[in-house]
Amino acid sequence: MSARDKPVQGACLCGSVAFHIKGPMRDVIACHCVECRRQSGHYWAATSVAERDLEMVRQEGLRWYNASESVTRGFCELCGSTLFYVPDGEARVVVSAGALKPGTGLRLTKHVFVAEQGDYYSIGDHLPVFEGFSGAEHA
Amino acid sequence: MPDGSCLCGDIRFEYPRDAVGVTTACHCGQCRKQSGHVWAIAEVPKVQVSIEGAPCWYSSSPGTERGFCPRCGSVLFWRAEDEDLMSVSLGALDGPTSLKLESHIFVKDKGDYYEIADGLPQHAAFEEDADA
Repeated sequence: MSARDKPVQGACLCGSVAFHIKGPMRDVIACHCVECRRQSGHYWAATSVAERDLEMVRQEGLRWYNASESVTRGFCELCGSTLFYVPDGEARVVVSAGALKPGTGLRLTKHVFVAEQGDYYSIGDHLPVFEGFSGAEHA
Repeated sequence: MPDGSCLCGDIRFEYPRDAVGVTTACHCGQCRKQSGHVWAIAEVPKVQVSIEGAPCWYSSSPGTERGFCPRCGSVLFWRAEDEDLMSVSLGALDGPTSLKLESHIFVKDKGDYYEIADGLPQHAAFEEDADA
């Protein structure tokens, strides 16, 4: 987690969903699970923020999909951008790294769910890899 | 025959293995915003991609459209009016794909929070441009 003075800005491709993040952001984690791979089109990279620190500026296009009993995924229904992942009962929102305006200072620090990684690519960056969750998704 | 679907299964597609041209990961700003990170695709002739279901098409720039599932938001397709080939998500493929990613494109626009370290060729913009 790192604190910052100015809110970080994020948006979907068409701008129908835009948001500010006002508080600490977790380092970026890349998820290779089948769900993230199907939705994002490759594998997904995201930060995580407290629900209260995510301030929506525009949300005309925001649509939610209940991917499972405990997970809801948010995307823009106008341009199809993958944006959010909300685990039930955790008061946090996982936010696409690709949606954030550059200059966040965040770094990708690990890969999770590599047990479900696609067979058509290799990772190669020597960051820590985890078969499933790393156990530090909140921090 | 590679086949795949979106996350919710409303949209399915398939194409012949021997129809696949280039496979690449695109780091351009549009692909990064839509996919949430980096988009990996196979280029396949439009006429050889069979799509079941009704994707939503978003015109991301003049003459081009990005196809996604309106129910679950999965990023699936990219096509241009004046091109015979279209791009199809590699992440949406079922099971063993028999495909290998070949390169990275538009690395001049890549995100600042990750490195590309898989040893594949990197191109500043399109495949045909000089290496980055």
